[in-house]
Amino acid sequence: MENDAASGSVAAVDINGTIGGIVGPLVLVEPEADLRDALEIHLTRLGLHVHKAGNGQAALSLLKEHAPSFLLANARLPDMSGIDLLRLSQAVSPNTAVIIMGDPADRKSALAALRLKATDYIHIPVESEHLEVALTRAAHWRTTRIKIQHYVEQLEALHQTKVLFQQLFDEVPCYISIQDKHFRLTGANRRFKEDFGDTIGSICYEIYKHRSEPCRDCPVMGTFEDGQPRQTEEVVTSKSGEKINVLTWTAPIHDASGHITQVMEMATDITQIRKLQSRLTSIGLLMSSISHSIKGLLTALDGAIYRLDSGLEKQDMDRVRDGADRVKEMVAQIRKMVLNVLYYTKERQLNWARINVRDFTRDVISIIGPKAEAAGVSFTHNLSSGMGAFEIDPGALRSALVNILENCIDACVDDRSGSERKHVVTLNVTDRDGFVVYQIQDNGVGMDQETREKMFTLFFSSKGSRGTGLGMFVADQIIGQHGGSIDVDSEPGSGSTFTVRLPRTLPPEIRQPADPDTGEPDQASRTEENR
Amino acid sequence: MAKKILIVDDDPNITSYLTEFFEDNGYATCAASDGREALDVAKKEKPDLITLDLEMPDEWGPRFYRRMSQDPEIKNTPVIVISGLSGNQYAIQKAVASISKPFDRDELIKIVRDAIGDGK
Repeated sequence: MENDAASGSVAAVDINGTIGGIVGPLVLVEPEADLRDALEIHLTRLGLHVHKAGNGQAALSLLKEHAPSFLLANARLPDMSGIDLLRLSQAVSPNTAVIIMGDPADRKSALAALRLKATDYIHIPVESEHLEVALTRAAHWRTTRIKIQHYVEQLEALHQTKVLFQQLFDEVPCYISIQDKHFRLTGANRRFKEDFGDTIGSICYEIYKHRSEPCRDCPVMGTFEDGQPRQTEEVVTSKSGEKINVLTWTAPIHDASGHITQVMEMATDITQIRKLQSRLTSIGLLMSSISHSIKGLLTALDGAIYRLDSGLEKQDMDRVRDGADRVKEMVAQIRKMVLNVLYYTKERQLNWARINVRDFTRDVISIIGPKAEAAGVSFTHNLSSGMGAFEIDPGALRSALVNILENCIDACVDDRSGSERKHVVTLNVTDRDGFVVYQIQDNGVGMDQETREKMFTLFFSSKGSRGTGLGMFVADQIIGQHGGSIDVDSEPGSGSTFTVRLPRTLPPEIRQPADPDTGEPDQASRTEENR
Repeated sequence: MAKKILIVDDDPNITSYLTEFFEDNGYATCAASDGREALDVAKKEKPDLITLDLEMPDEWGPRFYRRMSQDPEIKNTPVIVISGLSGNQYAIQKAVASISKPFDRDELIKIVRDAIGDGK
């Protein structure tokens, strides 16, 4: 880099070469022909290439044409003064060093020449030694001037580069920090400062991870140790408490002697990708879970049809009836599964209305009653009158409650402890502190702590191939969307109690988008409708 | 005496389907709904063949198979895997056959006949 710059423009005024660096073209302006010729001979002998002129105008056109290294001019010219020529030359060829020759008594010209930055004022008659000294100084002036120009240009370029790099540093879509050996931040880009605070001087793990000690397997420490870049994935916490998944890349910063003084850490926000990935993973799990349960259901449906067929063949009406019942049961199960899947895959808005609690609950009871009876489980309910109304999506909430109630019935059916106790599922509906509370109780198999904690997670099923792991997940989602909550109390062997609390009015953020008169449906729901 | 088949599946609908189908074809049957129960039933009933689901709540099919093959009394009983898991043929390599749900009845009965002959 430096070598290139030197050979670029300083070479044009190489002062190490010929005598004192006196090289290049020279324009000589002297009205007297004898003196002009004598000077030319002398200058040519010094190695200069001389262009001659007898007056100011001729000199100016030579200056324009050759932009010479030197101008040697008499102070008195026929058409202008040497001082005027000096002034004009600075516009035409600013890098030309000017030497004025004049009468030693003409102090006025001498002063004017020096004020106008002529490199020298030499006396007529010109002495050759004097001229050589003047030329050497002129050459030196020229070299210095061109060097300075070059440095100024470099400085400007450097400044521009610096501004450019600062912009890149600030605007690059990553968090960049520079850290010393003690994890102290010595630099950070704008994005980093925006999301993590203006943090120069603070400690990486405090500001990035809200920790009080260095992280295990710190990539910055690793890079300090071996000088190798490292890539890791981290979860960091912004100053507003938001969790951000980042892909980090560290690189060493060396000083002139090659020691690693600092490490740069660049972190790219990949939160969106991770979210998308977990959604894709869910969908993948969903697909495999669905395909597994569909296989089971189809096999059971085969069995039901086989029973129907063989009953018809044998003219056994009991078999036929039983087969038909099983076909219906399997179809109902497939329908339920498909509806649950549809609920999950669609981020649906609540389609809410103000509904009478008693009417709604009776609906639920009329669905679950026959199912309990068919399973040999007795079902009782307490529903007082005067419960008033609440704001719900009746379709969604009905399926949530039915999912929970069916789970309770299944828990009774699964109880093979052989005890004589009669299995009961109870539904109590009460008003408590402005909430409508559904308490659903069974005395079936009950759940251990692990099952209780996982029961609302997607694809968790305690029922093996009979469960899709969707029912309770969907129930929990729906009740959550209503601003309500589910609590579970359960002991293995003694049954479970679910307490569902629902507010009478929906949370405002839920009300808004569902009301077609007051709220614009958002982009997602509009797309949904267009499908 | 009729040849006996032990049906191991946690889904009662599928158990009753297989029971009915095998009985219609002249076999005797017994059933278990998980691996642990299956081991007890197998020891008691000494079936001629076992159909085994892989994914069951309390004990996995492969685990049952491992325990079964450690029991000298029943370890030589042929096993047919009937499962909804994809790639199930790798789960129990010594199985007589591995078939996927939903299965073809005719194919199943052919495999059973090849393995243990007719029911009576």
